[in-house]
Amino acid sequence: MTDLGIPPFGMPPLSADRAHYVLDRGAGFVLSIHAFGLACCAVEVVAAAMADEEITHAEETPVDPGRPRYEVMVVSGTVTDKMAPAVLRHFQKLPASSYVISFGSCANSGGPYWDSYCVTKGVDQIVPVDVYVPGCPPRPEAFVAGLRALHRTVEASRG
Amino acid sequence: MSWSDRVDQAYAAALGEASLRDEGFPPLTVEVPADRWVEALAVARDVLGCTFFDWLSAVDEGEGGFAVLCHVVARRTAGVEHLAVRCLLPRSRPVLASAAGVFAGARWHERETHEMFGVDFTDGGALLPMVPLLLPEEFEGHPLRKDFVLASRVAIPWPGAKEPGESEGAPATSRSRRKARPAGVPDPDEWGPR
Amino acid sequence: MSPLPARSRGVIALIEENCTSCMLCARECPSWCIHIDSHTETVPASTEGGRDRTRTVLDRFAIDWSLCMYCSICIEVCPFDALHWSPELAAPEGDIRELTHERDQLEAWLASVPEPQPLDERAEPAKEIAAARRAADRARLGRQA
Repeated sequence: MTDLGIPPFGMPPLSADRAHYVLDRGAGFVLSIHAFGLACCAVEVVAAAMADEEITHAEETPVDPGRPRYEVMVVSGTVTDKMAPAVLRHFQKLPASSYVISFGSCANSGGPYWDSYCVTKGVDQIVPVDVYVPGCPPRPEAFVAGLRALHRTVEASRG
Repeated sequence: MSWSDRVDQAYAAALGEASLRDEGFPPLTVEVPADRWVEALAVARDVLGCTFFDWLSAVDEGEGGFAVLCHVVARRTAGVEHLAVRCLLPRSRPVLASAAGVFAGARWHERETHEMFGVDFTDGGALLPMVPLLLPEEFEGHPLRKDFVLASRVAIPWPGAKEPGESEGAPATSRSRRKARPAGVPDPDEWGPR
Repeated sequence: MSPLPARSRGVIALIEENCTSCMLCARECPSWCIHIDSHTETVPASTEGGRDRTRTVLDRFAIDWSLCMYCSICIEVCPFDALHWSPELAAPEGDIRELTHERDQLEAWLASVPEPQPLDERAEPAKEIAAARRAADRARLGRQA
């Protein structure tokens, strides 16, 4: 096998203890993003994370002990009935003050697979959702907008 | 000799007959009797050099039964040759010998075909237990069969059922009119809540 | 990030004037996400002894963005060009019901719909232009008489 010299892009495996990305907008808190990527929408989430300056890779972002971290699970892609228990399990492992962003039509409502025999019609059937981002797939700009909307919600709730 | 001639010749020699099927589109398809399925795949692999197993699945042909298809590919120095091997199973008893002896990767595809169509696979005459692959455990029925109704389409009212001039709960004409049904929704007398 | 291309599929804008409630978009939508309500009205005869006519009036036109898959089938099938793509993005919402946009919201997107592609210079002019020109000429001659 030849070495193509491509730098390895490895996202850490999904774990409740380690996020993929961090959103730091200079506020009194930081959002710790778990990219629960299931299908095509996951690519847009990665594209947004690579392009936006405020989103950094968690592995490369030092943890700031002075500011609280809120975990955000971003469900992007179709939730099949077979996968639904895994989504729920991951959410249940996160702290109680965690948030969920439903990204894309499939996660919002089943989307184009609304009539399928084995698709969960929206991830809000199994976990509470805080922000719904419309699109099929939503553009990376829409992901950033969704994250910022959640950031504002969290900021408001902290008073 | 063209690929199509080579396939014809190989199957005529091995099975005593060869029927090339013209689907109207590629790949080249050869129809074989169901009881000689494993032999036919071995001919594809050993005589015709189709060493790459692509996929195995089924088609619900309605009254005609279930057609099981196996797509294999022969690598050449320049390019590839495609071949689809097909056999027909009766609807009442869709049982076929497993192809895993010829192409090990076929076992995964047979699990999916069993799940989706209800086709059984045997190994040495014994029925193979097929662990569900893609469907949740509580799932009932075989979804890719043509008579499997998508319940969401029956339960959710079709926005297109309304006629121009009709509103939610206020039909345009007072006389009862047979409502237009969307694709895939059977007559309520045949299928639906009781 | 750079601005979106003008012909991006962001949201769909509705030109209510053009819509005749023919229901084609609602019927063809694969996601069943277009909801249309309409009613018929009788327009009394304009001349003595003439025939009363009926007219379809649009009551509700809504698109549910949580279901839409942005396939463009509704836009392509509309015989009256009432639907158009706009590059604006529908805002993320906390409540999924807010993702269903009603007529007024769909009309508001019209401001960002780009100009249609120009016709080929050598093409025949559209029949509507010739018909409109004839009607304008008739009206002008009528006023002069």
